[in-house]
Amino acid sequence: MPSVVALPEVATVKRREFRSTLPALLFLALFFVVPVISLLLRSVLEPQLGLQNYVELLGSSTYLKVFFNTFMVSAVVTIVSLTIGFPVAWTLAIMPSRWAAIVFAILLLSMWTNLLARTYAWMVLLQRTGLINKMLMGLGVIDKPLALVNNLTGVTIGMTYIMLPFIILPLYGTIRKIDPAILQAAALCGANRWQALTRVLLPLTVPGMAAGALMVFVMSLGYFVTPALLGGTSNMMLAELIAQFVQSLVNWGMGGAAALVLLVVTLTLYAVQLRFVGDESEGGR
Amino acid sequence: MLLNFERLGWLKYVLLGITLLTALFLLLPIIFIAALSFGSSQWLIFPPPGWTLKWYSDLFADPRWLSSAWTSFRIAAIVTVLSVLLGLVTSFGLVRGRFLFRKTLRALFLTPMILPVVVLAVALYAFFLKIGLNGTMTGFVISHLVLALPFSILSISNALERFDKSIEDAAVLCGASPLEAKIRVTLPAISHGIFSAAIFSFLTSWDEVVVAIFMSSPTLRTLPVKVWATLRQDLTPVVAAASTLLILLTVILMALFALVRKGLKS
Repeated sequence: MPSVVALPEVATVKRREFRSTLPALLFLALFFVVPVISLLLRSVLEPQLGLQNYVELLGSSTYLKVFFNTFMVSAVVTIVSLTIGFPVAWTLAIMPSRWAAIVFAILLLSMWTNLLARTYAWMVLLQRTGLINKMLMGLGVIDKPLALVNNLTGVTIGMTYIMLPFIILPLYGTIRKIDPAILQAAALCGANRWQALTRVLLPLTVPGMAAGALMVFVMSLGYFVTPALLGGTSNMMLAELIAQFVQSLVNWGMGGAAALVLLVVTLTLYAVQLRFVGDESEGGR
Repeated sequence: MLLNFERLGWLKYVLLGITLLTALFLLLPIIFIAALSFGSSQWLIFPPPGWTLKWYSDLFADPRWLSSAWTSFRIAAIVTVLSVLLGLVTSFGLVRGRFLFRKTLRALFLTPMILPVVVLAVALYAFFLKIGLNGTMTGFVISHLVLALPFSILSISNALERFDKSIEDAAVLCGASPLEAKIRVTLPAISHGIFSAAIFSFLTSWDEVVVAIFMSSPTLRTLPVKVWATLRQDLTPVVAAASTLLILLTVILMALFALVRKGLKS
């Protein structure tokens, strides 16, 4: 221990602080940046230099169907989650906090429960002899069991279940920040409930909805486990296609090309979102 | 009006109804699985014809389940330690440093969070095939560390940003060495950030399945890979028993997390 206290020069401290990010930087460069970039490079290098993999990927109806499935399921999951999530987030924002705490506990429990455990539950619940079909038949809604699993219906139900908390939580934050006085003002100015909802409350929640919806949409696009288990083999989504190219077909060129498509769409949508959130925070100041 | 619960009128009941149904929807699979794991039906009939502990005894009798759980635990524990240490060192640099590209660097550190996991899984699989790390403990730890590190950096930098550095400087002025001041003054003050970093890192690794599917070998499997492989064959109730134990672990960790946060507030 030095007996004389000498505070190091400020500039040296700052340079040293930069040095402390180097281990993580090296680690990510080696095990994240290099592997991802070399995978993407293989899409134009294998089997020979050129764009043949992209031509095949975007030219075949089999693969286009996979893209279509992926975008459709993600869009439906996003819209359904938003439709259910908005009223729930609204209620959570204004209901007595003791009840809200219970709903929050349920939300967190479902979010934190192992993904495979949740997917397994839906595989059992949705099967032909499962509880959902039994209940619907018991209620007389249907005569014979519906095919709810091994198709895109199953994937959509399972994914909506997983994505709901991701839309409710940010929307809750947005609605909490709205000043109730604004709605009182709307009422004083003669707006009825419907007008107050459509012209005041909904427009004010648009930033939160857009942020939540984009996040859910992007997460859904790249989802692997739930589509693979609930979707069956004939209704593939993009992430499964990438895995199949690499694992079963050992076609790294096509795998890299499909990965690049997913990556570009994902990063573009995130850039849109960042811009959106950025604008919102600037507007707030 | 619309943001005042008491003055909503009939709308209040509509909203409460939707919220109640959604809460039930979110809770249903979790309760369902727990109930099924004690049900005696091999075909997962609900309500079960009788109750049994058979699936749990099957689970514990099969050494493959136990060994995969042990593998998962070891990987998650190593990942947690490395992720917290690396997260700490990096956060000091990111929060305290004033160098060029600091924001870009921060964004790079958080990218693994937003990248589709399957892309990372396939990329690392290809890379590890070349350097011979596939199916090894090291390969598992490295790949899970890539996924866990962003959470660790995020939790610890947030805590560090709220900590007033002049307290650490005061300790140095009072005769502590810079390292001593960091360990005895700063670390205790940001312990809640370190704690959440540890929990998130552990859960990230423990629950991770996509990367794990690509990293595993017949002799080295984590628990999620074992569940995955079993589910691809059939829907045995043994998986319900395993899932119920995983849910129990989640509840315990959530309670622990809530307790620590409560303890920090008071």
